[in-house]
Amino acid sequence: MIKNHAKIKNNMLNILVIISIVLIVATLLVMAANKSPIKAYQAFLFGIFGTLNGFVEIFVKSTPLIFAGLGIAVAFKSGFFNIGAEGQLYMGAIGAAATSIFLTGVPGPLRLILSIIVAFVFGGLWALIPGILKVKFNISEIITTIMFNYIAINITALVVRGVLKEPGEYLPQSPMIEKAARLPELLPPTRLHAGFLIALLMVFFMWFIMHKTTIGYELHVVGLNKNAAKCTGISVMKNIIISAFLSGGLAGLAGMGEVLGIQFRLLDGISGGNGYTAILVALLGFNHPIGVLVSAIGFAALQVGSNTMQRQLGIPASIILIILGLVVLLILAKDMFFKERKITINTVKEGGE
Amino acid sequence: MLEQMFTVAFLTTFLTSSVRMAVPLIFAGLGETFSEKAGILNIGVEAIMLSGAFFSFAATYVTGNLWLGLIGGMIGGMMVSLIHAVFSICLRKDQTVTGIALNMFILGATSFMFKILVNNNPDFPQISTFHKIAIPMLCDIPVIGPAFFNQDIIVYASYVLIILSTLFLYGTTWGLSLTAVGEHPRAADTVGIKVYTIRYLAAMINGVLGGLGGAYLTLVQLGVFMENVTSGRGYIALAVVIFGRRHPIGVFLAALLFGAADAFQFRLQAIGIQLPSQYLTMLPYVVTLVVLLFSAKGSSDPQSLGKPYIGDAR
Repeated sequence: MIKNHAKIKNNMLNILVIISIVLIVATLLVMAANKSPIKAYQAFLFGIFGTLNGFVEIFVKSTPLIFAGLGIAVAFKSGFFNIGAEGQLYMGAIGAAATSIFLTGVPGPLRLILSIIVAFVFGGLWALIPGILKVKFNISEIITTIMFNYIAINITALVVRGVLKEPGEYLPQSPMIEKAARLPELLPPTRLHAGFLIALLMVFFMWFIMHKTTIGYELHVVGLNKNAAKCTGISVMKNIIISAFLSGGLAGLAGMGEVLGIQFRLLDGISGGNGYTAILVALLGFNHPIGVLVSAIGFAALQVGSNTMQRQLGIPASIILIILGLVVLLILAKDMFFKERKITINTVKEGGE
Repeated sequence: MLEQMFTVAFLTTFLTSSVRMAVPLIFAGLGETFSEKAGILNIGVEAIMLSGAFFSFAATYVTGNLWLGLIGGMIGGMMVSLIHAVFSICLRKDQTVTGIALNMFILGATSFMFKILVNNNPDFPQISTFHKIAIPMLCDIPVIGPAFFNQDIIVYASYVLIILSTLFLYGTTWGLSLTAVGEHPRAADTVGIKVYTIRYLAAMINGVLGGLGGAYLTLVQLGVFMENVTSGRGYIALAVVIFGRRHPIGVFLAALLFGAADAFQFRLQAIGIQLPSQYLTMLPYVVTLVVLLFSAKGSSDPQSLGKPYIGDAR
């Protein structure tokens, strides 16, 4: 009981220290950009709370981060370092767009469901290949998934200039997807769409899979110790492949949401780096579905606020990538400030470098 | 098109630009070789290169001196590598997670700093690059001469470095100690090798060389910095290390292969081939995948790669 209490106190202290460091760094960065920190924070808060549109935009922007973040979380949990969510997102976007553009004969809602499934499969397959390369040939998934990102981005560029190009148009983009096959709007005139609800559903679904089923347990064991998993009869190969497919599929849904809920067509650069930021979101959420939800929404809020800072004061919005990266590093490093007793005893002698 | 490709002129320009494209990978790959041989798997090569690219550009942009730029790049790379080293050696954190987080962090940091740096200047900042120096005699060899021996000083530095690294790693006690630390740190520790010191030194070498690779990108190849200017080259450098079997000469040859893939797509675009440019842009990444597939058999990983060492937990 007392030990627990001390642990909570320690954690709170950790969080306080991290928040203070982040605030100091953010202030310094704003000052480095030659802007007034007070005005910057005003703009930041106004962006988030000033208008309904701004506030709702948090949930709009969090949607792809939740999807992709969940995908990365399940992969990381099983020791499959999928950093290819960006590419899987693009493949999902292609799948969703192609389905709703080619299957014009299918009635709207059914086509929507089909698009969602195809997006999941496309994204899943795009992650499955690196998964197979890892378990069959022991090729580092970190390198392959990154290569697959660049390939997927180029495939998207080819597709919007080729098979999916809007006929008779100059711009490289697909035709508009008709209203019936889109994700329904939730709160017009804001951009909030049903994709957010699906994302919430997936949070619950992934929490259930990861924490309440044998599959989730096996994934976790494989991630913790491959040899132990083998010894207890858990197939490493099977589990890595499952987690790769799930992971890519979820990232594919992020692309689906952008196509069917936001842009209503396939475009070059439709992701805008969401697949990469989702890595930090997953790490920040400790690879736990609920944690991913919280950190995705928190990050989206930072994004909305800093976009306003960029518009009003011209402070580069990349400031949030610094902040988020810093938070992840600080959380990783937190033993540096508060070493737990157990560790201190072991490290005092030689670890002092 | 085929007639155009099999001329001496085409081959010469193609090989010349292959070497130029390979240089950042040679430096970064060599650096990572040192690090991995000492047992530290640093996925953050991308961050090291990006930081090197930015700081070399910033230093040159501010001072107007290319040599200060090179030093800036080396320091920029080393800072990133040292952060990774503290996390993986001293704090014993997951080396992969740290590397990934660093890659994201540095991407944001360099983009931010670049915007602030050039904010006051509406013109796109361009810097002058290194001149070519022809090596007498050698540069007269047809095709190979101009490609390998009519380059800038950094290219020559990379040749020297390859030879020195090979001698160092396989011919000196220091090199053997480094390998021992990566293979079996406990045994190395028992015979009095300072595991932590060697790992820190390897990390610093990795940072300096990776930073130099990034600097070459901005100071020589482009003359300018852009957001995410490395665009995956740090990860390709990781593939170079694997394909090169963590041997400096292997790394050199592997880097040349990837450089050739890069150069090939630029050459084809230059002669105006009738193919959407995206097919060509994809080429280096596809080559990386194919090469990894071919080098899959028989891993050369050091035994303790990626594992933290705990000094007195016997």
